[in-house]
Amino acid sequence: MFAFLWLMLVKSAPLVYAALGGVLCERSGVLNIGLEGMIAIGAFSGVAISFATGSAILGAIGGVASGALLGAILGLAATRFRVEQIVAGTGINLIALGGSAYGLVVVFGQPGASKEVNALGPTGEIAMVCLALALAGLLHVFLFWTRPGLHVRACGENPRAADVAGINPLRVRFWATTAGGAFAALGGVFLAMAELDLYSDGMSAGRGFIALAAVIFGRWNPLGAAAAALFFGAFEALQFTLQRTGIPVEFMQALPYVAALIALAGFAGRARAPAADGVPYRR
Amino acid sequence: MNLSRGARDAAIAFGIIVVFGSLAMLLAGVNPIDGFSALLIGALGNVPETAETLVQTTSLLFPALAIALAFRAGLFNIGAEGQLLIGGLLAGVIGERFIAPGFIAIPVLLLAGAVGGGAWGALAGWLRARFSANEVIATLMLNYVAIQVAAYAITGPLKSATGAGNETGELPASSFLPTILPDTRLTIALVLALVLAFLLRWLLRSTVIGYQLRAVGDAPRTAQRAGIDLAKMRFWTMTASGAIAGLGGATIVLGVLHRFNLALSPGYGFIGIAVALVGELDPLWVTVAAFVFGILQNGAIGMQAAANVPRDVVTAIEGLIILVLAGRRIITRSGAD
Repeated sequence: MFAFLWLMLVKSAPLVYAALGGVLCERSGVLNIGLEGMIAIGAFSGVAISFATGSAILGAIGGVASGALLGAILGLAATRFRVEQIVAGTGINLIALGGSAYGLVVVFGQPGASKEVNALGPTGEIAMVCLALALAGLLHVFLFWTRPGLHVRACGENPRAADVAGINPLRVRFWATTAGGAFAALGGVFLAMAELDLYSDGMSAGRGFIALAAVIFGRWNPLGAAAAALFFGAFEALQFTLQRTGIPVEFMQALPYVAALIALAGFAGRARAPAADGVPYRR
Repeated sequence: MNLSRGARDAAIAFGIIVVFGSLAMLLAGVNPIDGFSALLIGALGNVPETAETLVQTTSLLFPALAIALAFRAGLFNIGAEGQLLIGGLLAGVIGERFIAPGFIAIPVLLLAGAVGGGAWGALAGWLRARFSANEVIATLMLNYVAIQVAAYAITGPLKSATGAGNETGELPASSFLPTILPDTRLTIALVLALVLAFLLRWLLRSTVIGYQLRAVGDAPRTAQRAGIDLAKMRFWTMTASGAIAGLGGATIVLGVLHRFNLALSPGYGFIGIAVALVGELDPLWVTVAAFVFGILQNGAIGMQAAANVPRDVVTAIEGLIILVLAGRRIITRSGAD
């Protein structure tokens, strides 16, 4: 039982990080389809920088920074240049996935997977699982109990009103998306440097999209999204134990997406996105 | 389309390819001139390579036309990838078991592909029309459901006697699409795609349905006041968009692979977004854009072989083009009403 719970937490942690990043972005009014790419770039950069410097900690920091950079690019595109966010997010994914695959050859001289590098180890894994859960609570407190959190939510619900009240929606959205990218990249750092000690192509494996599902299923609340991520992580962990029972593994893997569709259609109670989610703002 | 703006966009796309492509090649320790010439020779250097570039063009054109059509109605179809896969799945699993002369088998299987993709698009369209579910997220989620459905189908209930784990067995030769050029994979699918592009252009510009569709995209409120049923229009546009993507999946099965494979598409449904945008959502220019991206897709393989530049650089550059060009036009997305 304990082993299963731990496996569940390990499988959930990357989803929790990415889902929290998604909540932060969407609460500020930016729909982040690029979470998948941000996970990938965090995982790849973490490993590449650890390989170059020999330091796992520097690698982890670099991984997070690369996610923040990608988030900043999306943030700039969504605010300053009013790029259609959905299309921009798709672009971000292609850049990150293609760039990581390309980077593997440039840095490690081999396609497919990196060499093993210094990673965070079992202690780091435990710490990062705890950090994921702690961040869920902290983000909840931030969004609902603090003044800057109120500003973020205001920009996602009614940027015009926020602007009139003296909050700059463009600036808030930019920073929320940058931080969201860093959160998602933490998920990638966990995958490549806590759970494992290498990067391989396709490592993100749709987790960014499951995280988007968790955001919807969790009704755009950090605690709700983290709970949904734990739920999806539990199903991923169950696959290992249920393989012998005859339940097709494909059903389990499709579950997060189907759950999101059900939530979207409102069968599971009204899932209402922030009113200005995905709507570019013109001052 | 405004030609000068189109030319400017094309120049920007070209600039991105040259500047970032060169940077990436320098990083990999390759002389950019060698890299780019390997790309061009790999794509257009001789007849077989040019034919293969046109094969890629065809495979990109179907999803790109599907996406452009949906965009024109203010619908974001990020699900062309899944619709293409389900269309291919249906064509593959039926085609493997269905033995008939080509003039019967080919239309039936192409129709099966369109029906499969159409059904997958309709699902998102229904969620949108009936429950106001955001079609972006719905189509995105359905991509992943499609992969699982296809994986389950070909390993479980529809498993073929000869197929390996991730694919069906080979289709009977009578259902292969006829080739245009002997000894290449270039088939009548290209002609089909060009005819489709022509029809879509005519539909959008010269018919009442096309006018209504654009009205729904450009000004949903006004369209509604003019008596257009928004929900119905969105449902059928999404269905048609899915059907076009599904038809594309079927042409890959019947014309290129001769079997259904889970890895049927290396992201045609996503790259198709770039193709549709660069082509200004106009079927004529989308066709031109598909050819340019076809050169990139096929040239990347030659570049990897000849100049040792990993082909993934092309994916990253395509992403960059999407990111930059998406900002250069205003696409109206109809809100959830």
